[in-house]
Amino acid sequence: MPKRLRFAIGTGLIIAAIGYLIVAAVRNTAEYYLTVNEVKVRQGELAGQMLRVAGRVAPGSIGWDPITLTLSFGLAQPPPADQPGVKAVAASVGGGPIFHVICRGEPKPDMFAANRDVIVEGTLAADGTIEARQVLTSCPSKYVPKQPAPLNRE
Amino acid sequence: MPLIGTLALALALVLAGYSIIANVVGARASIPSLTASGRHALWAMCAMVTVAVGALWTSLLHSDFSLEYVASYTSFSLPTIYKITALWGGQQGSLLFWTWLLTIFTSIVAFQNRRRNPEMTPYALAVLAGIAIFFLGMLNFVTRPFELLAVVPADGQDLNPLLQNYWMAIHPPSLYTGYVSASVPFAFGAAALMVGRLDDSWIRSTRRWAIFSWFFLTLGNLFGARWAYEVLGWGGYWAWDPVENAAFMPWLVMTAYLHSVMIQERKDMLKVWNLVLIGMAFGLTLFGTFITRSGVISSVHSFTQSGLGPYFLTFLIAVVVLYTGLVLSRVKQLRTPAEFESYLSREAAFLFNNLVLVGIAFAVFWGTLFPVLSEAVRGVKITVGPPFFNKVNGPLALALIFLMGVGPLIAWRRSSFDSLAKTFAAPAIFGVTTGVCAFIAGLREWYVLTALSLGAFVLGTIVVEFRRGVSARRHMVGESVPVAIVNLIGKNNRRYGGYVIHIGVVLAFTGIVASAFFKTEVKKSVKQGDSFQVGPYELEYLGMNTTETAHVETARARVEVRRNGRPIAMMEPAKLFFKRLQQPATAVAIRSTPAADLYVVLAGIDDQSGLATFQVFLTPLVFWLWAGGVIMAMGTVIVMWPNVRERAVIAAAVRAPLPIEGDAQAVPGGD
Repeated sequence: MPKRLRFAIGTGLIIAAIGYLIVAAVRNTAEYYLTVNEVKVRQGELAGQMLRVAGRVAPGSIGWDPITLTLSFGLAQPPPADQPGVKAVAASVGGGPIFHVICRGEPKPDMFAANRDVIVEGTLAADGTIEARQVLTSCPSKYVPKQPAPLNRE
Repeated sequence: MPLIGTLALALALVLAGYSIIANVVGARASIPSLTASGRHALWAMCAMVTVAVGALWTSLLHSDFSLEYVASYTSFSLPTIYKITALWGGQQGSLLFWTWLLTIFTSIVAFQNRRRNPEMTPYALAVLAGIAIFFLGMLNFVTRPFELLAVVPADGQDLNPLLQNYWMAIHPPSLYTGYVSASVPFAFGAAALMVGRLDDSWIRSTRRWAIFSWFFLTLGNLFGARWAYEVLGWGGYWAWDPVENAAFMPWLVMTAYLHSVMIQERKDMLKVWNLVLIGMAFGLTLFGTFITRSGVISSVHSFTQSGLGPYFLTFLIAVVVLYTGLVLSRVKQLRTPAEFESYLSREAAFLFNNLVLVGIAFAVFWGTLFPVLSEAVRGVKITVGPPFFNKVNGPLALALIFLMGVGPLIAWRRSSFDSLAKTFAAPAIFGVTTGVCAFIAGLREWYVLTALSLGAFVLGTIVVEFRRGVSARRHMVGESVPVAIVNLIGKNNRRYGGYVIHIGVVLAFTGIVASAFFKTEVKKSVKQGDSFQVGPYELEYLGMNTTETAHVETARARVEVRRNGRPIAMMEPAKLFFKRLQQPATAVAIRSTPAADLYVVLAGIDDQSGLATFQVFLTPLVFWLWAGGVIMAMGTVIVMWPNVRERAVIAAAVRAPLPIEGDAQAVPGGD
């Protein structure tokens, strides 16, 4: 069946090409997605790398300069009871490591506030500061904001 | 109301169960009255779900906060239109809405096929009823829309302000309609496998359903993109977020399916492949719901994390296993003697188009699941963002556009180099000339140049096709050009409607490429009376108006836009504050022209300094993405338009006890 074989080879080549594209793109664009505690543990090896870090904005740490559009804040680990990124508002930040984040030249996101869960995209400097390219607040499609007690059953 | 709704859902579940038994037993034992009863049960099921939907809508409109759902997603001050759309604003409601659509479609299918497809229909209906049982089971036992609250709150919590937008009002219903109607061809594919009727009658009987599904998936994706563009205020419309990907993947697979079934109808090839594609399309609709509801994948749009994930996953696995088993059991009978003869043939072009489409779908799937996979394999979460998707899908999109030009015109079986040269010379020259002109005009990005050339090439092939058809009609019938064009489309709506869709795709693709490469962004904090430059425009911040209603506070900036010193527009970006939720939101001002969109965001107001921060995007040609979308939708309507000749063919095909041989006229394709 030479014809079938010829087509099998052609098909195989296309699949291989797509596979190659995927592998190459993963190699070039992958970023670690870590929590604050995980970054703390691997701080040495991560310095200088692109990261996405999920954490919570530490209260009392926010600095905002509207002229230079510079946002700075402390990024902390949410207490273990809450899943990061799900409930937008929670009462507290657990003790533990806090990373200083600076984001320059971007407007402050609408939902940005103390105790919000955010995802910071940026580079970890040697001194432990995260130079953020982007700060994403959990900008939920259909989340339930803050559930008062009688609603909270799931 | 809650009691009525709960009872109706319970009854619907019972009816769905009965219908499966009646249909299957009736078909096996050849008892027509029993299958008829099974069909009637489906209509009753639909009526019951309709009652439940009516009950929930009534409660929403009356702000009956004793219902958890009503209290969670609406408030007294919410505008009525969003009380109505709140039906699909939350989890239980959207599942109910999904189920409602499913039962409506099932009823229509039952009616359409009450005398057609006597062997397949009872099984197809049983499959649809089976899907309904899953959803009704969820609504009855897992996530109940009529759950009551122990303490009735004074006011509800309101709908998320980001969802209080007309695009969000129509985006979910479109997408759900697309998702749910994909289950009809799937059900018939499964039924064909069960009864062993392995010709293309399952495809023909559900062709319009498949196109209907594609139509709404297209609209759903576009509405979602438009919503992101207008509401989220970041100047873009697509971020390769898992939620978006979940809606995009079924569209890709459905597109592949719609193309490859033409090969089966015409050449009796790719039979297994088509069954696999429709299975994948259906599976991906479940998968999409699973990943957005389970919290397995963290998305910026985090949905409520809920207990639904495992149920959906279980159902998905069950569907995949059963369906794969069905396909495997028939694989031998599905073999065909027909084979591909040459790379230079329409069959081959369609095959490659399918490989590329499914390849893109796979890349999207892989990128979406990558964090989960990397965590499972390497113990560390690694994400891939938009750069990954753009890197992989960019080249594949070019290949797809190229095939879109080649596929419809190249000859079946094999094409000689002479005929290729004759057919494609003019469009190819047009494409290359466009690229060269763009280069001379100063464009240097190879990707953009290639995209423009290929787009022009595709448009060229379509023009050639229309010209050929029109001149044939003018010679044979003596019609004028406009009449000939209308008749050409009317008489061959599948083929020429398809070309219209392709024109829309080229325009949309051009808009996507231009906006991806040439978007400029300016961020500036200014005092009242200050102005700043964005591209050729000068923007002056004139002042701020604040207004307040019971529902929302608004701060609206007035920005005058000037070009060459002359005022051309007044733009009013705003910041909203939703009182009930204590949540701010952004209202973007967009000035759209075919050449470029000026997109102004009021990004912040600093009370101390009086500074207003603006973020302005100038995006060329993004207009054509939406215009292309409208043209795609119009083309799809042309394709779906009833065609008398085709009706006759389908009627003959589906009534015949044995598959009819030979060619159907309804197949698009040149000769």
